[in-house]
Amino acid sequence: MTNVNCDQLIDYLNGTLNEQEQKQFEAHLAECPECREIVDATGELPYLADPVEPNTGMKSRILDAVFDEEEHPASLAEERTKRDSPAPPATMAKRGFRTSKWTPLVAAALLVSLLGNAYAFYELSDQPDAPAAPEVAFETVDLQASEAFEGTGTAALVHEEGALNLLVQANQLEPTSGDQVYQVWLLKDGQPIPTGAFTPSQENEGAVFFSLDENTEGWDTIAVTLEPNRGNTMPQGEIVLSAAIDPEA
Amino acid sequence: MEKISDALLYERVRGKDKDALEELYDRYEKMLFSYLCKMTGDRDLAEEALQEVFVKVWRGVGSYDESKGKFVAWLVTMSRNAAVDLIRKQKKPSVPLDEIAEVESTDSSVEETAEWQEKSEQIHQAVRHLSEEQQKMVHLFYFKGYTHETIAEKCGIPLGTVKSRIRLALKKLKTSLQMVQEGGVLDDKREL
Ligand SMILES: [Zn+2]
Repeated sequence: MTNVNCDQLIDYLNGTLNEQEQKQFEAHLAECPECREIVDATGELPYLADPVEPNTGMKSRILDAVFDEEEHPASLAEERTKRDSPAPPATMAKRGFRTSKWTPLVAAALLVSLLGNAYAFYELSDQPDAPAAPEVAFETVDLQASEAFEGTGTAALVHEEGALNLLVQANQLEPTSGDQVYQVWLLKDGQPIPTGAFTPSQENEGAVFFSLDENTEGWDTIAVTLEPNRGNTMPQGEIVLSAAIDPEA
Repeated sequence: MEKISDALLYERVRGKDKDALEELYDRYEKMLFSYLCKMTGDRDLAEEALQEVFVKVWRGVGSYDESKGKFVAWLVTMSRNAAVDLIRKQKKPSVPLDEIAEVESTDSSVEETAEWQEKSEQIHQAVRHLSEEQQKMVHLFYFKGYTHETIAEKCGIPLGTVKSRIRLALKKLKTSLQMVQEGGVLDDKREL
């Protein structure tokens, strides 16, 4: 890397050059076959992903938005604001199903059997004249990773016949050592109760199912900590994953 | 009939030819959407990112010409950066959705699948020639939605080092990909 411009390639790919630097680097690209060939190779990287069929109706939605953009330049921003606002629980439940983020098969099977009724509810609720649905509320949330933690997770909460069922699934977890466990907590006004613990599999995935028969209402937060040992009634370790949940759900 | 090149289609897009944009969209919808799904772990977010890319193409933001390399590479860079921005705005951890492909029904033509398979085999083969560290750099930069700053922070490596590692990884990827594409049997022991 003798040419100082070649050094800017990664900034260019990262989109972090300012306007002038961008122009200069583009001029460099035209002159430097090596940088250009590296850029070309990145065009093949998407084929590392598994092929995914496009969303239903996606093409017309996107093309409409693209051509609409011409006449109403603000529409994209408006659309974004709309989508950024919190989705009602019903929508969240639907999203949870549609994208099926439950990697371990066991967790998936458990969720499906557990949610037999909830799923029927979800199916029915799509039809305006559906008969009265059973009393099942279902919410899924993506857990937010704390700084410097690389794992991801999802939680599903199901209120059914006076019980609260909780399923947490996480992946890309850092391996535990010694007696360490990942501990799940439900919190109400900052007060936690332990709701199951797990250790990651060899694939760095983990899942835990927990059912509460009493005190099922009003939880506002779900968190996962990395505890030095199993069985703590108060968290001692750092929070690695967490999310706000809807106390009304 | 000879297929019109991407660059030529893009020229027409610049002249506000809607059909040309649609043709480009059709060519790269599945590839970019698959990539964006893997990166964001969210079909809705992937669609949003893809929409931003084509809005930019249509509006001529950061215009393309052949001196910047292949059109598809330019699209991939825009897609990556659109997704990185959206992930950051939503503060949404990326989740791998490997199972999507199995869950969804496929109605793709045999031809497309065959092309995908060939491309996929080539890039997978090429990536195998990267060291573990280099594969990690490519993964973090292109599939985790991390900027080079984030990689530096998370891995505790100086930014300059991260940049040169990503560059070196991509350079090696380029070389091994070229060899795979030329049909040369790649000797695993050969130093690239
Ligand atoms: Zn260069």
